[in-house]
Amino acid sequence: MTAIREISLGEAMKEALAEEMRRDDDVFLLGVSIRAGTFLHTKGLVEEFGERRVLDTPLSEPGGVGTAFGAAQEGLRPVLDFMYAGFAYFAGSEVFIQAGQYHFLHGSKHPLPMTLIGTCGVGRRVANEHATLPYGALIHHPGIKVCLPSTPYDAKGLLKAAIRDNNPVFFLWHTSLMALKGPVPTDEYIVPIGVADVKRAGTDVTVLTSGLQVHHSLKAAEAVSSEISVEVIDVRSFEPFDLPCLLNSVTKTTRLVVVDEDFERGGFAAEIAAQMMEHGYDLLDAPVRRVCHPHMPVPGGYIDAYSMPTPARIEAAIRDVCR
Amino acid sequence: MPTKPRGASAQETLTRDHKRLLYRNLVRAMTLDRMMMRIIRAGKMVGFYHEGGIALAPGVAAGTFLRRDDAMNPHYRAHGIAHMIAKGVDIQSYVAEHMGRVDGCAKGRSSFHVSYPEDHIFGWSANIGANFPPCIGYGFAARYRSTDQVVMNCSGDGSYQEGRAHEALLMTANWHLPVIFWCENNGIAQSSALSDLFPIADISRLAAGYGIPALMVDGQDLLACGEAALAAIAHARAGKGPIFVELKTLRSQEHNVGGLNNEGAHTRDPALMQKWRDTRDPLTLATARLLKDQVLTEAEVADLQLEADREAAAIEVHCEASPKATPSIDELMAGVYAP
Repeated sequence: MTAIREISLGEAMKEALAEEMRRDDDVFLLGVSIRAGTFLHTKGLVEEFGERRVLDTPLSEPGGVGTAFGAAQEGLRPVLDFMYAGFAYFAGSEVFIQAGQYHFLHGSKHPLPMTLIGTCGVGRRVANEHATLPYGALIHHPGIKVCLPSTPYDAKGLLKAAIRDNNPVFFLWHTSLMALKGPVPTDEYIVPIGVADVKRAGTDVTVLTSGLQVHHSLKAAEAVSSEISVEVIDVRSFEPFDLPCLLNSVTKTTRLVVVDEDFERGGFAAEIAAQMMEHGYDLLDAPVRRVCHPHMPVPGGYIDAYSMPTPARIEAAIRDVCR
Repeated sequence: MPTKPRGASAQETLTRDHKRLLYRNLVRAMTLDRMMMRIIRAGKMVGFYHEGGIALAPGVAAGTFLRRDDAMNPHYRAHGIAHMIAKGVDIQSYVAEHMGRVDGCAKGRSSFHVSYPEDHIFGWSANIGANFPPCIGYGFAARYRSTDQVVMNCSGDGSYQEGRAHEALLMTANWHLPVIFWCENNGIAQSSALSDLFPIADISRLAAGYGIPALMVDGQDLLACGEAALAAIAHARAGKGPIFVELKTLRSQEHNVGGLNNEGAHTRDPALMQKWRDTRDPLTLATARLLKDQVLTEAEVADLQLEADREAAAIEVHCEASPKATPSIDELMAGVYAP
């Protein structure tokens, strides 16, 4: 019988990992200090699955990604945890070039079922390396799927989908959402990669966003709800991107604000603005607005709380496009 | 450039059949290397080529004694053709790939990437040193599944300048993985002398720091290379962890066809290159040795060359006949992700 509990996003991720590891012996987990469980989602997994399937890697990111890469070519389904997604840049060649090109450049003959996990997000006061959200850089490089959940339900379903995918998938999660609780059914389910989700329906303006910024956008939507009806779309997957969902929404609302916690320059928000121009210019009654992290390295200290998109900045952008 | 074996401990374990097989593969490899040179000089190759020349004995030895399910990363010298034919790969589709044809192993879209997943040669990257991380994974998969597969990880001295090499030494040693570090050391990385880039002449000395045993052999001596391959494969197959084999070889031509043949600021001495070709050609050396030891007859030597010439000619004709690959962008886009 289906039951629905309230569990945290970290616990939801752990359930996804454990269920997939129970289901398929080819799934194994490797990463930096994951036996101890630096974060909630790997804590205790070594007790159930043993040291054969839960491996601590040295601080050798290219070696770690390569282990996953080679093992995937040999038919296993590795899940590599970077701890912080910013550490993935150590393995730039493997992550940004080789993972995505492997299938295509070798004749589309052989799958590469490899999941990469890393946390990211502004607002932890610890500055750039721990905050960097690499999805803008990742989607620039073809062949790797990228997702970022905003709820425990989506986190579990997307992570399970990532592990079952026959391609490299970078599953990002936002550090500030680790303890966020939400309803998750006990029955098995999958959230398909490449499908966006309308988190709040509205008719006047569309806010397209992801991760923590879904919650900030929902706050902004609530704040203006007596005057403006805001539709909030959670992209969930940056690649593949659910363009039909966006176009359907803007057909109704005629206005678009893209809220992106990543750096402003050449990022996901700019990509969406360009796609909107190419595929839905005639739908728009106002120019597309971006709300991003300013194009400066993410600062630490008390500054990041306002350098990132805040509900107030999002509200201002919503009001601006609805003038 | 040291060419004498030092510290090698492999004993004579090659059978008569092993020697004949190694020799046949070397004849084929060097003949196919000349065929690739013909193709590129005729302007029929879409990309570049890195001539094998007199450096192909290590590659032949690396492949000859592997099983089909043993993973291998071929070294790019002669674009891995020596390594792959020795392992039993039908490389006709690889030549077609170099010519941008539909029969190419990557459907004519990759220029030079190897793609033989059924032979556990999964592919490669042009980023030198990119071989090391996946080879950890191949070894890991073997251990994870408790098979006795081994990994033949071939690359040159230049690749050991990448941090990835050191990560692979660390991780394979720590996890006791069946990976053979097969270092074909020709003393020069593109146009930079190894002595200019490395504080030590023998790269295999790195292995000791990770507790990995090492062999060092004369890479111009086909039988010495073969003995080292047998010893290394036996070591890895027996579950004794990684092993390092350094094969001292020679590059008697430029790095890539048409490129500079410099060592730093200076042009390499053409007379020295010629002397190496005259006195250190592994096929000439192996022919003399095997005739003397009566492993082969003059007639057999001639027949093997004839057979190799026919093989190369047939490949060239087939690839020429294969249509040039010009798929639509839509077709290509459909191949970005695996189903």
